[in-house]
Amino acid sequence: MPRVLRDFLSVGLPVVAIFALLPLVYANQLLLFNFVLFLILAQGLNAIYGFTGYLPFGYVGFFGAGAYGFALAVMHLAAPPALALLLAGLAAVLLGMILTPLLRLSGAYFAIANLAAAQAVYQVIANPALQDITKGPYGVSLASVFAPKASYGAALLILAGVLALVAWLRHGRFGLALQAGRDDPVSAAMAGIPVVSARIIAWLISALIAGLAGGVFAWHISVFYPETAFDLSTSIFAIVFTLFGGAATLSGPIAGVILLYGLYNVIGISVPQYFQLIYGALIVGLVLFLPRGLASLLQRRGIDVP
Amino acid sequence: MTAWRKWGRGLAVFAVLVASGLAGGARAENAPAEIKIGHLHAGSGPYASISMPVYDSLKLWVEQQNANGGAFVKAYGKKIPLKLISYDDQSNPGTAATLTNQLITQDKVDLLVCDSGSVLTAVSVPIAREHKMFLFDPTGTGAAFFSKDNPYIALLADPVSTVWPRYLWEFLKSDAAKLGIKRVALLYATNDFTGTQANSIRAALKEPGSPVEIVFDQGVPTSTSNYSVLIDNIAATNPDMVLELGYVGNDIAFLRNLQESGQKFKGVFTLYPGIETNVLRKNVGAQGLAGVFSYVTALGLTLKPEVGMTVEELRAAFEKAYGEGGVEFGWNAIAGHVTGLVIGETLAHADSLSQPDLHRAVFGLSGKLKTLVGTFELRDDGAQIGELTPIGQFDATGKLGVVYPSDLATAKPVLGAP
Repeated sequence: MPRVLRDFLSVGLPVVAIFALLPLVYANQLLLFNFVLFLILAQGLNAIYGFTGYLPFGYVGFFGAGAYGFALAVMHLAAPPALALLLAGLAAVLLGMILTPLLRLSGAYFAIANLAAAQAVYQVIANPALQDITKGPYGVSLASVFAPKASYGAALLILAGVLALVAWLRHGRFGLALQAGRDDPVSAAMAGIPVVSARIIAWLISALIAGLAGGVFAWHISVFYPETAFDLSTSIFAIVFTLFGGAATLSGPIAGVILLYGLYNVIGISVPQYFQLIYGALIVGLVLFLPRGLASLLQRRGIDVP
Repeated sequence: MTAWRKWGRGLAVFAVLVASGLAGGARAENAPAEIKIGHLHAGSGPYASISMPVYDSLKLWVEQQNANGGAFVKAYGKKIPLKLISYDDQSNPGTAATLTNQLITQDKVDLLVCDSGSVLTAVSVPIAREHKMFLFDPTGTGAAFFSKDNPYIALLADPVSTVWPRYLWEFLKSDAAKLGIKRVALLYATNDFTGTQANSIRAALKEPGSPVEIVFDQGVPTSTSNYSVLIDNIAATNPDMVLELGYVGNDIAFLRNLQESGQKFKGVFTLYPGIETNVLRKNVGAQGLAGVFSYVTALGLTLKPEVGMTVEELRAAFEKAYGEGGVEFGWNAIAGHVTGLVIGETLAHADSLSQPDLHRAVFGLSGKLKTLVGTFELRDDGAQIGELTPIGQFDATGKLGVVYPSDLATAKPVLGAP
């Protein structure tokens, strides 16, 4: 059995199946939806950070672009949700293309420039002068397409696709080329790998994933403001979940989301002040002692982590 | 009447009394041990300053009810203790959405109260509607929440944003115009609350025949904390009066920057000095507030409630409960108390705790319930339209007097003061 298929069947499919069945036994579907949303976003971030080493702190910019892409398609084109979702992904890809020059930067400079770009997009969307188009800072209401069950199902389909994609990146030629470019771009280029174009493709794939996540979020929640769609904590959560579990693996970001978002919902809601303390300490400890995430604990012992 | 008929009638009356007594007994026996009120508050983040006073005041009301054996619930014909389940959404709309769902689906609350402010209220509106759960909305005034096809919401304590500034534009077009106000600058924070008010004011002042023209009209992000350049830009357009509409932080920054700038206008209106007077007085000082026009809420009026406490009684109870260093008593604390009063009256009038009966009971209170903020009156879409927001002006000692409308006036407007 090809390794791509093996990883997807052993890790990806069970996760999707579990989240498909959970609404039958647990009624807070919005909480489950948020888990699915962060699973998608963490894997989207994994696609760019895990395989190229570029850490986009402004990843929420693509998410917000997707949310507003969906909203604009519904409000102005009366698009059905499925088409609006595709347009949401397209909006994020277009934004990714505009921001492609940022890939000339690296490390902290890339992260900061990306964050600034996300803020710029937020300010444009929230500009009162664009109220006729985006509703400006006054938020959008998509009551006409509000369908929580259908949007949850769509989120699961997106998650399945994203998990299959990341499994392919891990074992496919393109993913291996990306990893080679991440580890030693000069050697990779000398070996004939088109490092720059491969990075751009990974960047646009990552943008597409966040855009689809933003679109399905807009569909599911139906009433939101620019500060909701461009909330920086979305980026931070996705980054922390990915780093905690282990980037460049399929199961690492999944473990990160399940453990940390689970922790957030158990401790963060009952005693948020302790949660912030615990979360802060966890991130500091992670960066200092486990920079490659939980997966590295097994990998150090020679265990293959899917 | 024959003896048989007398006996028959007596027997029938006895049977009805026994049946109703049994039914009442059965109702009381079936009564839950507690009535669960689900609520969200923001313990941190940008909305904490407006959310925490509502939460503290609602908590105080629940404690007072429970100290008297609970709230009277008509559906069970007896008093039942209340349990307030309130989660901290940390001013995060995503968390607020999840927690709203948590309250409905996991905690299975009997009554649902959303967080304060439009951004956090917005996420609860579709969720409550989806679950056919009636949403008690304390202060989320966004006009988009209220539509005739959504029977699952009522705004309790604040007037809807479109109604709120009515007295302001009436004042500008009548009394202020007579005093020489012809040119107005409109500066507002671009959020649902103040943006909607700015739209209403703009529309009213641009009506044909309006004696007042808008010479400066700009929205700024709600996060704006430095107004120095904006004040100079406004001064360059030579307005007679400046209307600044923002949240607490915006108004504090604007009034501080205005003092520092040395710019003088005949009149200045800002939104929050009359709403959270203590907070503004502490941060701007009585001198900074002198001459400023603002809305006058229940804090500055002496309305006699038919239900619940007066403002001074509530202030005393609130300050006793939360003491020095706690949350400041202001309009939002009053809003929390009003939320409690409406919940109490709803329970006292609803035939059952089913959501349609709760809806009927809340709307049945419209126009009849008189609290410390005035008459509770709902439009048929659930928007609050009954409360008064007169226009007032601070004098040199920091006291707020009502200047409009004339039937409520306790002072005359003074321009160029101090």
